Amino acid sequence: MSIGLETKVGGLALANPIMAASGTYGYGLDLLEFCPPERLGAFVTKGLSPRPRVGNPIPRIVETAAGMINAIGLQNIGVEAFCRDALPVLRQRGAVVAVNVFGERMDEYVEVVERCEREDGIAAYELNVSCPNVTAGGIEFGHDPGQLKRLTAMCRTATHRQLWVKLSPNAPDLVETARAAVSGGADAITLINTLRAIAIDAEKRRPVLATGCGGLSGPAIKPIALRMVWEVHKALPAVPVVGIGGVESGRDVVEFLLAGASAVQVGTAIFREPGAPLRILSELERFCVEQGVAEVRELVGVLEWP
Amino acid sequence: MAKPPEVSHNGGGMIARRDLAVRVGARSDLSPTCFRLTLAAQEPLEASPGQFGMLSCGEGFDPLLRRAFSLAGVSRQGDTTEVELLIKEVGKGTALLRHLGLGSNLRLLAPLGNGFSLDGGTHRLALVAGGIGLPPVLFAAEVLAARGTGFDLYLGATSAAELLELKRCGRAASRAGGELVLTTDDGSRGEKGLVTAALGRRLSEGRVYSRVLACGPTPMLAALTLLARGQGLEAELSLEEPMACGVGVCLGCVVKLADGRYAPTCKDGPVFRTSDLAAGWWA
Repeated sequence: MSIGLETKVGGLALANPIMAASGTYGYGLDLLEFCPPERLGAFVTKGLSPRPRVGNPIPRIVETAAGMINAIGLQNIGVEAFCRDALPVLRQRGAVVAVNVFGERMDEYVEVVERCEREDGIAAYELNVSCPNVTAGGIEFGHDPGQLKRLTAMCRTATHRQLWVKLSPNAPDLVETARAAVSGGADAITLINTLRAIAIDAEKRRPVLATGCGGLSGPAIKPIALRMVWEVHKALPAVPVVGIGGVESGRDVVEFLLAGASAVQVGTAIFREPGAPLRILSELERFCVEQGVAEVRELVGVLEWP
Repeated sequence: MAKPPEVSHNGGGMIARRDLAVRVGARSDLSPTCFRLTLAAQEPLEASPGQFGMLSCGEGFDPLLRRAFSLAGVSRQGDTTEVELLIKEVGKGTALLRHLGLGSNLRLLAPLGNGFSLDGGTHRLALVAGGIGLPPVLFAAEVLAARGTGFDLYLGATSAAELLELKRCGRAASRAGGELVLTTDDGSRGEKGLVTAALGRRLSEGRVYSRVLACGPTPMLAALTLLARGQGLEAELSLEEPMACGVGVCLGCVVKLADGRYAPTCKDGPVFRTSDLAAGWWA
């Protein structure tokens, strides 16, 4: 039995529901021998700002139980270098590219989008309004529905491409925030970014990370991510959701689809295993065969709530 | 160092990276805290001294991430590849590795990163290892000795019991026509004090080296950076930073370069020339 793996996120048709998440897959060309980008439904770039960013001092990462906390601080090569060096290769390979967009001010988001609009081969933008690791911009927009609506609308004006907004699980009212993104013109919502977290060195009586706080990812956050996907899907059933948070297996993907996600991003799992997205895809296929699911789309949002 | 391309194109020309299925073939204690792990793989693997691998520590999500280990040696025995690691038990992951049953199945992503430059020179090389910094230095020593490149080998540890692989180190040094210099913090073996001080003494006595290749704890490498800069000596240091991915995508393991950029240790290193590193890169 051949499984229909195709899915749609808003107006974007994907060959399969597995994406590589922003910040875990570089600019799409770092892990070619383990997971070439064209085999994925799509991949999301490392967050790109108008100009290169050097990022935070070290230590930037720490492992925790079934998770890790990072405070990279959006170190990136800048949108220009991405368009010049990576995009031509990605286009040639036929990868479906979503550009993760970051700015310290609203006009910087628009600047990144406008630069990308001059290029072919970009399918979607994912606005990063939820990075817990930079002090300026980003998270301020993600926590304030009014500002988020305005930011989304500004980017909406700049493009006809698919526009996703990656929301913060740390926002005071998630559904309200999602509603704001949609009313600003977002085509889909990505849920969730990392959770603000601290690891403490007991002997030194200091936080482990140089920045104090960071963002928690990995299997530890999956139950929270599932709950948030489900809540947004229930409140806004017409809005496509891209699920992310601790996906390590094909079953995890099924759980996110059931909770209402149309596609799923694999993040921290790539750090454990560079070929994880493709392993997870084949596990998803096997699950469907075993469960008699003909098309993965059937699974989206059909969670039976008790 | 040439400025690395900002976007990786899969390291053209590099030795192919593989995510190998490996079996724990053998394990033996080297000291109260350190042990040797020999991993067996069916697939061939080529690596050069200074390169490393990311090793899983067992099943499950805790610990979540693989651990980075410099390779101490790679050899092909019949149709099996043997990968040798020297490991110090410092936490959860290394404790698991110390107690895993022989025959356990693990994954090893290797070879990763850039190793030492193994060119000789007009003078001998100085190879310097502190504590569990030995594996890449031992790997280099054995390859250089086999090539007939001369070097002195400096080996430092906290105490006599923590000086690892003395016989092999002695054999490699004598094959290379060089001296094996031992130091311990407590003076229980060799010269008392830091290994960098032993190197410094010989330099001030007029001994000349083409280059220093070193691996060890960060304070040692910091001292070596200052020593090398003071003497106008070129040094290549194998750095250690906590890593999540090992392949340059998480950007967790960065070190500050002389040009102000943060470079991932896993991909642009782990071996760096002191001249490419920021003045106080360790701070």
